[in-house]
Amino acid sequence: MSWDSFIWFALPSVLLWIVASLLVYKTKYELVSNILFLLGISVFLLFIILFWQHISRPPFRTMGETRLWYSFFITSIGYITYRIWKYKWLLSYTALVGTVFILINLLKPEIHSTNLMPALQSYWFIPHVTSYIISYSMFGAATIAAIILLKKLRTQKEDLKLENLIDNLVYVGFGFLALGMLMGCMWAKAAWGNYWSWDPKETWAFLTITTYLAYIHSRIQRINLRTSLWILIIALILLCITWLGVSYLPSAQESIHVY
Amino acid sequence: MEKRKVIWQLPWGYRESIIIVLGIILVGFLLQISLGRFDFYLLSFPLNLYFGILSLGFIVLSVFLKKKPFFVWFTSLSFSVSLLGAITLLSIIMGLTKQVPMNDNTNIFTLLGFNQMTSSWAFVLVYLLILLSLGSIIAKRKPCLNKRYFVFILNHIGLWLILFFAGLGYADLNRYIMYVEIGETQWRVYDKDSKVVELPIAIELNDFNIEEYVPKLAIINQKTGEVLPKDKPQYHQIDTSFKDEIVFNGYKFRIKDYIHNAVRSSDSSYREVPMKASCPAALVELETKNGLKSHWISAGNKMQSPMFLDIDSNLALVMTPSETKSFISDIEVYTQDGGYYKEERLMVNYPLRAGNWRIYQYGYDNDMGKMSSYSSFELVYDPWLIMVYIGIGLLALGSFLLIIFGKNYRK
Ligand code: HEM
Repeated sequence: MSWDSFIWFALPSVLLWIVASLLVYKTKYELVSNILFLLGISVFLLFIILFWQHISRPPFRTMGETRLWYSFFITSIGYITYRIWKYKWLLSYTALVGTVFILINLLKPEIHSTNLMPALQSYWFIPHVTSYIISYSMFGAATIAAIILLKKLRTQKEDLKLENLIDNLVYVGFGFLALGMLMGCMWAKAAWGNYWSWDPKETWAFLTITTYLAYIHSRIQRINLRTSLWILIIALILLCITWLGVSYLPSAQESIHVY
Repeated sequence: MEKRKVIWQLPWGYRESIIIVLGIILVGFLLQISLGRFDFYLLSFPLNLYFGILSLGFIVLSVFLKKKPFFVWFTSLSFSVSLLGAITLLSIIMGLTKQVPMNDNTNIFTLLGFNQMTSSWAFVLVYLLILLSLGSIIAKRKPCLNKRYFVFILNHIGLWLILFFAGLGYADLNRYIMYVEIGETQWRVYDKDSKVVELPIAIELNDFNIEEYVPKLAIINQKTGEVLPKDKPQYHQIDTSFKDEIVFNGYKFRIKDYIHNAVRSSDSSYREVPMKASCPAALVELETKNGLKSHWISAGNKMQSPMFLDIDSNLALVMTPSETKSFISDIEVYTQDGGYYKEERLMVNYPLRAGNWRIYQYGYDNDMGKMSSYSSFELVYDPWLIMVYIGIGLLALGSFLLIIFGKNYRK
């Protein structure tokens, strides 16, 4: 099964995920939705296995291959998180993020042949990046909720349910963020002999983490909710700089994380 | 309406905490201006040990005095959040300022240590306060067997171990670069100041090999060397199962043969020879108006000249130079105290552990590529690494619990 057949697995998976993430809102069909979603993951996994056999080596080598795993792990872990937390929108959200990586693979096929340099050939690569992507999605959702809550606080008194949702999302997101970073440390140690070297990207990742920690701890005493919510919005901005912006900073021109 | 607390009235809250933390940063700046940067190497063994014992003493003391207003504040959330804010602020400055190894004190930024943030007094002081306050926070909390305590203790102890051993152990960490010729044994290395020193550990390099990716094809303009199409260069990854006809940039061709380790055997052909001077070559058949045209092409290397296929007087089909997939050293390691280790495939991402040493594949002669006569290694001596790893393990467990339990602790 080569890349040429990818579309015949990718499209059914995406379709199954979309239908599942729409049906999940109808309580009557929740079970059906679960089955369809899992079926989507299975079809996708089937492609990975057949493709693996075809190329007779683990598919970890090119960017395109790496994206296969993102789609697979994001939907799988997203599904598990949805089962634990029972937030239905999480399923739709996960389907969306998983689909984005499939679309990139379908629309930019020349990327398939980008070979990974030696430092990137590590079993830490995929879990490290997947963990980060999931935490980014959680924080994205938490920030949207925070903005909604900030708006509500102007007119209404409070919304404990929403407050709770935000906190839980941040805790779960933080868990993935910290795991992603720790795996990054293990990887850096193996590749460069250093688990932390204050490279610009690492510095930005660090200060993003401390900002989320400030939010988490500011919330334990339940003082000034508005300030906390603003910390959350600032944290997301810092997160985006870490993710996308660092390459453009003059301080980072020699960063080892900028390829 | 609650009455507003007067500032500095006990117990201290956010206002006092923020003022104190800002004060500490200011003290850091003053120390920086008067003493210059904080020299971490002052903290090498055994000074870091004494310092560690001192901090543990402080933490134990804090447990006995935990009812005193100072320690109530010192372990409070308002102080913690202020410290987190301070370290974030300093890190933002660090993230925006280019960090340099040597300082020249030419302007106010460099005078305050902004371009060497991690060894600036302000940063070190805040780091130290986080370490001490985190320690006291952990020590004062009553253990109990519920989810909440596990989430708390795993995260905080894990982080504390990392901060403690990575920070205080930094001065004991040494990194060296060693160059070894194939067939030789080497004890000498370059240290961080590029001085040659002799180590109690030696590496014998039995062999060094580079594995390369299967290269790609491109069509270039023979005059300018530009890859087609001009605005968005395209490369075709050679598929070694060569079944299909390839349509590439409007030209049709087939790959009839591919040799990964090829040596030119006559003017127009290649054969497989597994030696270091070999390079990939492919036999390509192109469909032209005047029928089929086939030719060997190769990117060549230091020993062999490149070959390409003329499409017409303007364009040529060429092979790109191979990209390195991995570089692999076959080494044996001896230590002065009689230790012996062996690794036949030392490569990037797969270091060799030899006691408190770790040996990393570092580099080779880039000009010579596959024909490099030496391999270089990074040797890292880090006696506290195991403690940092324990910290990482605990923190990872704590993070996992955060994911499962969330804030509600799923009662
Ligand atoms: C990875 C890092 C960290 C994580 C995941 C984390 C997480 C948490 C959580 C979940 C709690 C609530 C515990 C509960 O519900 O009882 C907590 C409490 C607390 N944390 Fe952290 N924290 C981290 C780092 C820090 C740091 C660096 C500081 C101090 C500078 C700190 C200071 C505190 C304090 C003062 C409390 C309240 C303690 C108490 O109630 O006894 N934490 N932390």
